[in-house]
Amino acid sequence: MVIFRRGQRVAVYKKSEDEGWEDYMDAYIGAHGIITDPDTSKNDPDDLVEVSLDGKGTHRFPQDCLKLLED
Amino acid sequence: MRGCPVNDTITGLENALGSGALKNPRLRRIGEEILDLVKDVAWGRAGNDHIFAISHLANDIVESADDKNARQVGQTIASAVNVHKEVFESHVQTHNCATGDCVRLAPAPCQMACPAGIDVPTYVSLIALGKDAEAIEVIRKDNPFPWVCGLVCTRPCEFMCVRGRIDTPVSIKYLKAFAAEKALSDRQYKNPEKAPDKHQKVCVIGAGPGGMSAAYFLALKGYGVTVLEAQPVAGGMMMLGIPRYRLPREVIDREVAMIEELGVEFKYNTRFGVDVAYDQLKADGYEAILLAIGAHSAYTLNITGEKDFPQVFDAIDLLRNVALGHRKSPGKRVVVIGGGNVAIDAARTSLRLGSEEVIVAYRRTRHEMPADIEEVEQAEEEGIRFSFLTIPVEIVGQNGKLEGLKCIRADLVSREGSSRKVPVPMLGSEFIMEVDAVISAIGQCVDQTCTACICDLTWSRRTTIDVEMASMETSIPGVFAAGDAVTGPATVVEAIGGGKRAAEAIDRYLSGIPQPKMPPVPVRRQRVEWLDVPAATKMALKRPEMPLLNIERRRTTFQQAELGYSENQAREEARRCLRCDICRRCGRCVEVCRDEMEIDALNFGYLDFDHPFKTDFRVTEEKCILCGACAANCPNNAIVIEDRKGERILNFCGTILNRQKLLYCDSCGAVIGPARYHDYVTRRLGTLTPKTGKQKLCEVCARKTSAEILNF
Repeated sequence: MVIFRRGQRVAVYKKSEDEGWEDYMDAYIGAHGIITDPDTSKNDPDDLVEVSLDGKGTHRFPQDCLKLLED
Repeated sequence: MRGCPVNDTITGLENALGSGALKNPRLRRIGEEILDLVKDVAWGRAGNDHIFAISHLANDIVESADDKNARQVGQTIASAVNVHKEVFESHVQTHNCATGDCVRLAPAPCQMACPAGIDVPTYVSLIALGKDAEAIEVIRKDNPFPWVCGLVCTRPCEFMCVRGRIDTPVSIKYLKAFAAEKALSDRQYKNPEKAPDKHQKVCVIGAGPGGMSAAYFLALKGYGVTVLEAQPVAGGMMMLGIPRYRLPREVIDREVAMIEELGVEFKYNTRFGVDVAYDQLKADGYEAILLAIGAHSAYTLNITGEKDFPQVFDAIDLLRNVALGHRKSPGKRVVVIGGGNVAIDAARTSLRLGSEEVIVAYRRTRHEMPADIEEVEQAEEEGIRFSFLTIPVEIVGQNGKLEGLKCIRADLVSREGSSRKVPVPMLGSEFIMEVDAVISAIGQCVDQTCTACICDLTWSRRTTIDVEMASMETSIPGVFAAGDAVTGPATVVEAIGGGKRAAEAIDRYLSGIPQPKMPPVPVRRQRVEWLDVPAATKMALKRPEMPLLNIERRRTTFQQAELGYSENQAREEARRCLRCDICRRCGRCVEVCRDEMEIDALNFGYLDFDHPFKTDFRVTEEKCILCGACAANCPNNAIVIEDRKGERILNFCGTILNRQKLLYCDSCGAVIGPARYHDYVTRRLGTLTPKTGKQKLCEVCARKTSAEILNF
């Protein structure tokens, strides 16, 4: 697990087992995006973080389904 | 995801026309008419009669066809319209293609990124044109709070802004604030037209951004809406959690007044679960209820002494009290515990209340702080101090009087199997921070007690209301939820987006229409003509710095810290927009120029999302021969070539990439293109070039002259 920061590029690389993962999110696996709102108060690995996906809108994801992309 | 049936119909019909499947001249003409009509649908310029007309003409082909192929063409079109009627209608009514296949109707990245789905390129272009009221009209189709968002939005749009891959993102947030202020000042800030009254009532619990957005959209749809609010004012966290130096009260009041103007009734000082119960609302005839109760409870520090001293309180209480008019300083030396935006807000508020020294204590380093970097920088400028790698251990004091905060130094340590560093206390490093007030800002949660009157309401393990995110439906039919109560403490624009989704879902629920299974795709509102800007200007324009109030006033008053752009700055900034609503960044133009024409004049490094490289629009002029191959291959007319006033101009979404003087045929006066293009053609043809002497001739005259020379 890493601490996500605003502006970092990430990929949704797998389905999460967390209850915050909804069925429609399956369509986003493999999508790349940018962290637009990490959890804004605690840096809690359990929080949902907001990600803008390229061409697929902005959604909150459990952190375990995200990985950082190298710049 | 399957392809778009509208786009598929165009492709199928073009193939049919190209392959000669419609041999009969009359049927061929009808086929071409249908193609024009379907293209209108795909390009967002169709009217309500288009779909009927397409269907009618397709049936005409079927009935008049004298061969199997022609009949099949007609049947295929008629069937597509019949089976996918909803999709065709959606293109006409919402100007939106969910698959993105109809490229003219696919939203730009900034619009896709906005949780409220605002059509950013359209309103930014309108601001560039000086049409601020029209810009606000566009924004308010998706968001009733343009001015609020112009001041406090976390701007996901700017993170996705394609201009950011070249230099810096367009300052979308501040442009919105500029336009809202200007439109209000000009008395041109108006509500959209309301639908006829539906004679159905909806109750919204909570007058925060989520609740009021839902109320706005429901009122526009014709529902009677009542908003219950526990506090004496509307705004929720916008009013009670965001300090006035960031968001003046008048801004909220003016935008709330616009919602009231739509007939929404606000009942203040009315606590759900105390003054009004769920059953009472049902008995009063409310057919749907939206819970938008926010996340107003604070987490506690769980350290010794926390409950023993009145000088220890949470940031949310401080900010709420100050918002409601209290102006008592929390203490001379104040420590705020936390690293998020609320911690920074509490620290800057304490400073403005007269505290002499304010320290923010955070258990990790500056790098890990979740607060916005601009907020942190402004806080530091104002004199707030930061104590990083500091963990609070105990509140120290005696006889009910606080004397200090005992802390311990921390070290960030990586745990096995995880790159996430965890703060670990360093033994023996305890110290006392001498303060007379301790403010805790370590996060908020939803207060569940007010919803106790709703049996069977289910909650997530994060203690937020459990909903289907696509429709905001809770576990109880007719009860919906939105805002921080669903997401946990999040952003204003996210709450607005949630409120908008909830309003749509409530409308569906009350109309008996099934709920969507995926969140909606933002809707394109217009396609504003682009504004011509020379490539040099496009590159030279820089994002302006936001002018700030002088530091003395920032340290002592609650006056708005950010002063806003001047009109000139706003217009110039809006011209930096790349118009990604028109250019889809497919890269076809670059490929054609580089691989087929072997010129490589279009170095658009920003087209690559993951690995953008250098872009300079000015380079095009150095190499481009103005052949027009890029324009001919652009699927969306984003790059066009035109002859105007004796020049050939290459225009890319308004950026003038190249302009060269035209040459004319010495013999007949026809245009033969710029000298560079003429030279390129001559060079490529080599020995095949007609002999014309020193004359510049068009192709026809050149052949004629060459033949005459050779005959002699």
